[in-house]
Amino acid sequence: MMWVFNSIFGKIFDIIFLPFRSMSPWVALIIVSFMTGLLMLFIFRFTSNQKEIKKVKNKIKTYLLELRLYKDSLSISLKAQWNILRCNLKYISYSAKPMLVMIIPIILILIQLNFWFGYESLAPGQKAIFKVKLKDNYNPLEIDLNVESSSGLTIETLPLRMEEENEINWRISAKEKGIHNINVILKGERVTKTVAVAQKPLSKISPIKIRRNFIDELLYPVEAPIKSDMPIKSLEITYPTRSMNLFGWHIHWLIVYFALSIIFGFGFKGILKIEV
Amino acid sequence: MKGKKKKTRIFILLFFALFLPLKAYIGPGAGFAFLSSFLVLFLTFFLAVFSFLSWPFRFLLRIIKGQKAYKKSLINKLVIVGLDGMEPTLVEKFMAEGKLPNFSRLKKEGTYTRLETTIPAISPVAWSSFMTGCNPCKHNIFDFLSRDPKNYLPDLSSARIGNPKRFLPLGKYNIPLSKPVIKGMRKSIPFWKILGDEGIFSTILRIPITFPPEKFRGHLLSGMCAPDLKGSQGTFFFYTSDKEKIKKREGGINIPVTINENKIETYISGPENTLLKTKEELRLPLTIILDKEKEEVLIEVSGQKINLKKQTFSAWTKLTFRPGLGMKIRAICRFYISQMHPNFEMYLTPLNIDPEKPALPISYPFIYSVYLAKLLGSFITLGEANDTWALNEGALSEKAFLELSYSNHKEWEDMLFNAMSKTKKGVVTSWFETTDSIQHMFFRYLDKNHPALKNEQARMSSDVIKDLYIKMDELVGRVMEKLDKRNFLIVMSDHGFKLFSRGFNLNSWLYLNGYLNLKDGKEESDEWFKDVDWERTKAFGLGLGGIYINQKGREAKGTVNPGEKTKSLKNELINKLNGIKDDKSGKTAINKIFNRDELPHGPYKENCPDLVVGYNEGYRVSWDSVIGKVNSVVFEDNTKAWSGDHCIDPRIVPGILLCNHKISTENPAIIDIAPTALELFGLKVPSHMDGRSLIDERTFSLNQKGKKK
Repeated sequence: MMWVFNSIFGKIFDIIFLPFRSMSPWVALIIVSFMTGLLMLFIFRFTSNQKEIKKVKNKIKTYLLELRLYKDSLSISLKAQWNILRCNLKYISYSAKPMLVMIIPIILILIQLNFWFGYESLAPGQKAIFKVKLKDNYNPLEIDLNVESSSGLTIETLPLRMEEENEINWRISAKEKGIHNINVILKGERVTKTVAVAQKPLSKISPIKIRRNFIDELLYPVEAPIKSDMPIKSLEITYPTRSMNLFGWHIHWLIVYFALSIIFGFGFKGILKIEV
Repeated sequence: MKGKKKKTRIFILLFFALFLPLKAYIGPGAGFAFLSSFLVLFLTFFLAVFSFLSWPFRFLLRIIKGQKAYKKSLINKLVIVGLDGMEPTLVEKFMAEGKLPNFSRLKKEGTYTRLETTIPAISPVAWSSFMTGCNPCKHNIFDFLSRDPKNYLPDLSSARIGNPKRFLPLGKYNIPLSKPVIKGMRKSIPFWKILGDEGIFSTILRIPITFPPEKFRGHLLSGMCAPDLKGSQGTFFFYTSDKEKIKKREGGINIPVTINENKIETYISGPENTLLKTKEELRLPLTIILDKEKEEVLIEVSGQKINLKKQTFSAWTKLTFRPGLGMKIRAICRFYISQMHPNFEMYLTPLNIDPEKPALPISYPFIYSVYLAKLLGSFITLGEANDTWALNEGALSEKAFLELSYSNHKEWEDMLFNAMSKTKKGVVTSWFETTDSIQHMFFRYLDKNHPALKNEQARMSSDVIKDLYIKMDELVGRVMEKLDKRNFLIVMSDHGFKLFSRGFNLNSWLYLNGYLNLKDGKEESDEWFKDVDWERTKAFGLGLGGIYINQKGREAKGTVNPGEKTKSLKNELINKLNGIKDDKSGKTAINKIFNRDELPHGPYKENCPDLVVGYNEGYRVSWDSVIGKVNSVVFEDNTKAWSGDHCIDPRIVPGILLCNHKISTENPAIIDIAPTALELFGLKVPSHMDGRSLIDERTFSLNQKGKKK
């Protein structure tokens, strides 16, 4: 069920980002921030008490003006400051309801965005670690497990079995452009993990494939989950993380998204006559 | 219960969702709240710290500047309640009848006396003298109107509002590169400026002739003479579907409307678009949908929908005019549907400058009006707030006029009490127009034989005036409750009131007596001396009591030589007009003509009318004469609702003075208030002031000590 939802939701983002895949990730991030800003404005508009928010904001402004006008009167200034704090708390309480309503769509959106903006695909010749994490009751030193890769990848090392982490690692090397597979074979059953090599500037990269579990599936929705009866907890590729380059300044995509969506939100609240 | 549990579970789930390993960011919604709250907290903190840290420096600065505020003060707070036009004979009568208990208490414990007014007894003149402590020749205000000697046309005496001086032409636009020129014409220094220079704080609310607002230590909201958005002193709008009611209305604009299937598509006439090279009026579309069954309408304007019942005033409605280039001009107004059937009739107040986003400065500091609007709600900003013209011209009923006037009054009371609560030391002065405008419009009910009552059935009674005085007494009572012994209260009026039953057309008299001549073939002149032959005219009347000599070298087409010729012409006019009788009643119409040469001196005496007419009780300059109309009728009945007036002999319309302390002068005058305010705060009265303090500093301080004990 969750996988079906993830597939549909993921497809929506695939369609949204389709025209921008060959462009700089900035374009797509600006577009998606703009859309989110507007969406959140509308959610805010319909889930908040606009009249009361306007009223309380007006009160805050009044007391700020009072502070300025009666700056020589200590008693009036103190009273104004107290009133500002009181109104501010009230304002935050009015924002709580829309905030709670927004959490659900925002979490889903952020999860999707993280796969588009959080990682870079491997370049040909680039090395990465392939990790197989086992369930707690399985010992990596004893388990009989094989891996094989498609032709675009090379598995460079023998398995490194780490008891403390309960995982087995391999170093892999990307050979050629494309979406390649690594198959993990365990008791005759195969589990496949995709590996992206030399993809377009904006690509959906899945670093982890996880076992079937509500929370895990919610957080890592790109690839179909591993069957829950298998001893494997997750399969992971250590892709390089991506940062947004702003005139040589490397910023996490989330900060850019946060700033842009707020800027768009504030920019359009007046036009759409929404009190925030 | 189940639903509640479910909700709680959802809340808990969502709450924990915040802690999921998501590098949790909960979206712009939270961002908005977080940022706004943080900004407010930061601003509050910054202002608080700045305020605390800078306080010692500001204190030091005041000492360095030599300001020793309140050190020699005899009192903590001075509160002045100005009740424009309160008539002493009525106050005395109602006090004797026990209707004004608070006034009586003040009289018993402090002072009640009549207060000498100015020559002429007109509000802008009197209040200018009130604030400056000077006679009119020193403050330059002699009437509502002054004349332009170049073209004989009237000008507003208190301020000049001009267009910006520099423009950048861009397509169809003329983009202003400088601010509009706003110049106050009142001279001399108000007492609150002198107090402020010594560090004493004042709040001045709506005192006349305070537009444009001047810088001083305190807060000021402009009063009488602050314009509306159209730049006029108040232009109301009357919408009607009755073709018979389309006529010229003084002080207002008629807008004919047509009803199509219970819907009216019309407009609001705004200010002139000065951004355009070819000037045109800005208009806002206005749609009115009638529901005749429910007797209410739906008004759609400026993106708002207002449901309004018949004969009810709407709340203040915000309007936005867009002259172009993204600019906005804001106004506020109120709607009143007076009739829906058989014809539609609607009154719209003048477009007031929005105090929250003022198009012109109406307060000092600029943010003061913004603060008041946010704290108390939108309020009327027009100087002459109560729409006497609308009632006079039949656009508003008496009942509606009273409702609107008392609604305005309530706004001013709220401002006064807010200022009082925030002023522990200093001055609070507030002016109430209510007494003046209601008396102007309802005084006829005090005289059953008034000409205005002969033509129409009396809809109200003299109770309107009695109720007005009782309401003012109640206001004073509430003010007194907030004061202690270290506070000084003055309740005063600038002049009194008398009946205005007969009008005297001064210009017609001058015409019939050969001092004013009309162009060949003309027997009458339309407004503003349209058909006057200036080259054969020696004198003319303008404003509410002024006579000007058409003097050579001063007036554009002057005919009378200055010096002896002017002097003898003035004497001739004085002799003829002094004691002139009304043909119909035989009563004296003019008590005295005041010669400006005999008035107290001052640097602006040249701007004073050459003669000021002191009409007798019951008389005033006629409506036609005020606007420069000339004909062969000298005396005429005043049949308008505007039936009380004070633009007469100042000796018969003194104001009132009530104090919560004894005063040491027997015949106080309005020019004595400013010196009194200075002395109460321990300041010396400047030599340029003509008034003298009403208190004896030594006796007063002894009294205070006695009271403290």
